[in-house]
Amino acid sequence: MKSAGVTSIATAVTSVAVPDAGAQTGPAVLGPGDVPVTLTVNGARVDLKIEPRVTLLDALRTRADLTGNKRVCDRGTCGACTMIVDGRTVYACSTLAIEVQGKQIRTVEGLSSGNTLHPVQQAFCDVDALMCGFCTPGFVVATVAVLEKHPNATREQISKGLDGNICRCGTFVRIMEAALKARGVVRG
Amino acid sequence: MAKYSWPDTPALLGTPVTRLDGPDKVTGRARYSYDINRPGMIYGRIVRSPYPHARVVSVDLTAAQKAAGVKAALVYREPGTQVMYQGDPVAAVAADTEEHARDAARLVRVRYEPLPHLANVEQAMAADAPSVFPNGNVRAGARDETGDLAAGFAAAAHTVEQTYSTHVITHVCLETHGCVCEWDGDRLTAWISTQAVVQSAQQFAQALGIPQSNVHCITQYMGGGFGSKFGPDAQGIICAKLAKQANAPVKLMLDRKEEHLDTGNRPSATAHIRAGVASDGALTAFEAESWGTGGAGAPSGFPLPYIYNFPNRKRVHRDVYINAGLQRAMRAPGHPQGCFLTEILMDELADRVKMDPVAFRIKNLPPAGPNAMWAQYFRDGAKRFGWDRRHATGDPTPGPIKTGMGVSAHRWGGAGRGSHAHVDILSDGTAVVKCGTQDIGTGTRTIVAVVAAETFGLPVSGVKVEIGDSTLPFSGGSGGSTTAASVTPAIRVTCTDALDALFAKVAPTLGVPPTDLVAEGGRIHVKGNASKSVAWKDACKLIGTEPIAVDGQWQDGLSGAGTSGVQFAEASVDIETGIVRVTRILAMQDCGLIVDKLTAESQAYGGVIAAINFALFEDRILDRVTGQMVNPNMEWYLLAGMSDVPAIDIVLNNMPERGVIGIGEPPTVSTASAIANAVRNATGATIRSLPLHPHKVLAAIEQVRAGGTN
Repeated sequence: MKSAGVTSIATAVTSVAVPDAGAQTGPAVLGPGDVPVTLTVNGARVDLKIEPRVTLLDALRTRADLTGNKRVCDRGTCGACTMIVDGRTVYACSTLAIEVQGKQIRTVEGLSSGNTLHPVQQAFCDVDALMCGFCTPGFVVATVAVLEKHPNATREQISKGLDGNICRCGTFVRIMEAALKARGVVRG
Repeated sequence: MAKYSWPDTPALLGTPVTRLDGPDKVTGRARYSYDINRPGMIYGRIVRSPYPHARVVSVDLTAAQKAAGVKAALVYREPGTQVMYQGDPVAAVAADTEEHARDAARLVRVRYEPLPHLANVEQAMAADAPSVFPNGNVRAGARDETGDLAAGFAAAAHTVEQTYSTHVITHVCLETHGCVCEWDGDRLTAWISTQAVVQSAQQFAQALGIPQSNVHCITQYMGGGFGSKFGPDAQGIICAKLAKQANAPVKLMLDRKEEHLDTGNRPSATAHIRAGVASDGALTAFEAESWGTGGAGAPSGFPLPYIYNFPNRKRVHRDVYINAGLQRAMRAPGHPQGCFLTEILMDELADRVKMDPVAFRIKNLPPAGPNAMWAQYFRDGAKRFGWDRRHATGDPTPGPIKTGMGVSAHRWGGAGRGSHAHVDILSDGTAVVKCGTQDIGTGTRTIVAVVAAETFGLPVSGVKVEIGDSTLPFSGGSGGSTTAASVTPAIRVTCTDALDALFAKVAPTLGVPPTDLVAEGGRIHVKGNASKSVAWKDACKLIGTEPIAVDGQWQDGLSGAGTSGVQFAEASVDIETGIVRVTRILAMQDCGLIVDKLTAESQAYGGVIAAINFALFEDRILDRVTGQMVNPNMEWYLLAGMSDVPAIDIVLNNMPERGVIGIGEPPTVSTASAIANAVRNATGATIRSLPLHPHKVLAAIEQVRAGGTN
């Protein structure tokens, strides 16, 4: 009860630190303020003017209206924002947009073609590997990544590949079922 | 035969039907409230109290209002008032980008006078505790007494006296609470993440002083609620006010920390229990003093004792208030707590009389009934699970990994209530079903389609479903496992009436009275003469330009109430590290008439996994000195991942004669208790408090080794 009896007036204001660009050496400093950023998303060029601090996830969700991948924990724990960048899964909430210029970015929107679902997406639907669906895009992308790397992945490989994703409704059993079902259909 | 009933030989009911909105969700096309982007939309951000208890001295918005991109700012908590927990909202800003909104929120200058706070139940109950809450930190709650307690203890051959407890967890909805608000004059549209689209409109209207008919709430997709999303809350009202002030649409979705602090939690529960058992294994007496905290002024009730028949009993409960966010309903409110407190005690009592836990439970059950099928589930489940391979308490095998089995039972109410629906059948054969319910991930959209398609004899794809909109016919909030039992009868009644109207149009062409017609397989035919028929589409051509338009509502007789279930768990414990792994779960469950087997099973899987989290991982930890939550995130607030999920066997007992009953809640009630009993069976050490974190497991094992009775 450290604070018991304390009646002093405290203030909860923190001032915003302004980086002193002149004191830095090394790479060129971008910003503060908007800078041009060009991304390649699902094969298409996306030109943005954003602050350097904007994450890949926020850039796509709030500036490019690509809202398929979700923001959930916003600090690289839950995997709802999982995208594939140059063949590797990344937490887009913890990746700056300026870092991934010139790289191939794949989001959940890029998996289906027209009304034809990707085999992983189809398997998710067939076995009901989703409930509220908020973690689903992240899980779908992570599953695609696992199966592209290991087309005939074992249960253990799938489990390890999906351990960076969290579902709150509790769809794990059927996600595993969907991933197993999609094996061999996804080309590496 | 009643006019409205479920079919004896259904074509779709009880079969696995894939989720209607599956393709939208797996492709990212589904737009959740979080995903709504409106032209000219700006972003809201709330300034919250960093103190668990303080008086707001002043709130200065000046600097924030001058910051880049800021379009609106408001004071939510007037100076002189008190904030009662960390995260209590105080002020808010809105700016052109989220980043600018966050910057501006930091510039809101709030002066607080910190006041004494209570960071946990022990501090609140201490004799010298500061008086923080106006009517006392501790308030008398439920009290009940039955039979003759003294006689009950006199009849006991053994007594157990122990303290049992469960912890506070938060809902952790993956889509945080929040909405997008857009005004058109004095009309408000809110895309809101809610379990209650109609009630949200009602609450917006009340708080903003506008007619309810001026509010339009939309929830097409919703990223989890679990009992915590029944209205706009502070953030919704703040969002609407910021939008009004800025004259622009505002998106205000909470961040993960806010979600932990201020959107509800499952209250804690503790009970000091003395219970007696006769030498033949019959329970004789139960006396409990219980308490729990639902945070800064909310109750903490739970059923106790749970299910089993203690003929003589007395229970006194107290609600303890602490300076933490207020509790809200969380998946089967009260039941996981009451279940745990009772079921661990049951295993201890069974050991005293040297009875098998299953036989001991069966002996002490209340009378069996359609809503009380435990005895059957215990027997069938024991056989299916391989309970006969269970060793006595304490795994005798050598080595550090000990394995054990546990069992536990639960119940839940459910029940249907007023829900309305509207059906249009158009001349092109389109059938549109409208209902102001919402799909919170449970599959409501799909079961609406299943019931309509079943009634019309159409495939599921032949029905168009409109839900998730407050302007649709009234339906209640999705809570208490009542949605399926409320909505499906309304759909059945309305579709039956609409079909009768269609039969009236078709009957003359087939030369029979309308009552002789049935709809199945996409055709309308004469009863007992399938060859005398007309295709659905052709039948609908007889409708003409004025569609068949029918309103209807829930009626008694198509839904039921009361479910029962039993769960078995197998767990292994590493007695060197204290780490518990759940290896198998068997869930025996009924929910009346199963509408969609696939989504019903998913609910059961989900309930079990949620309870594994409750048992082993999640825990809202408040610093005992500062009252601050130390894990308001998703890396230190632990949740299961794929590798933590055991083999789960779901057995759903379809009981069509009982009508539709919900299943969202019951399967999550008893899993944690069964796991704790499995750990007890594995190690010989009883852990009487959740979660079963390694340090507690090790401490309990150490106590047994040291010769204590544990």
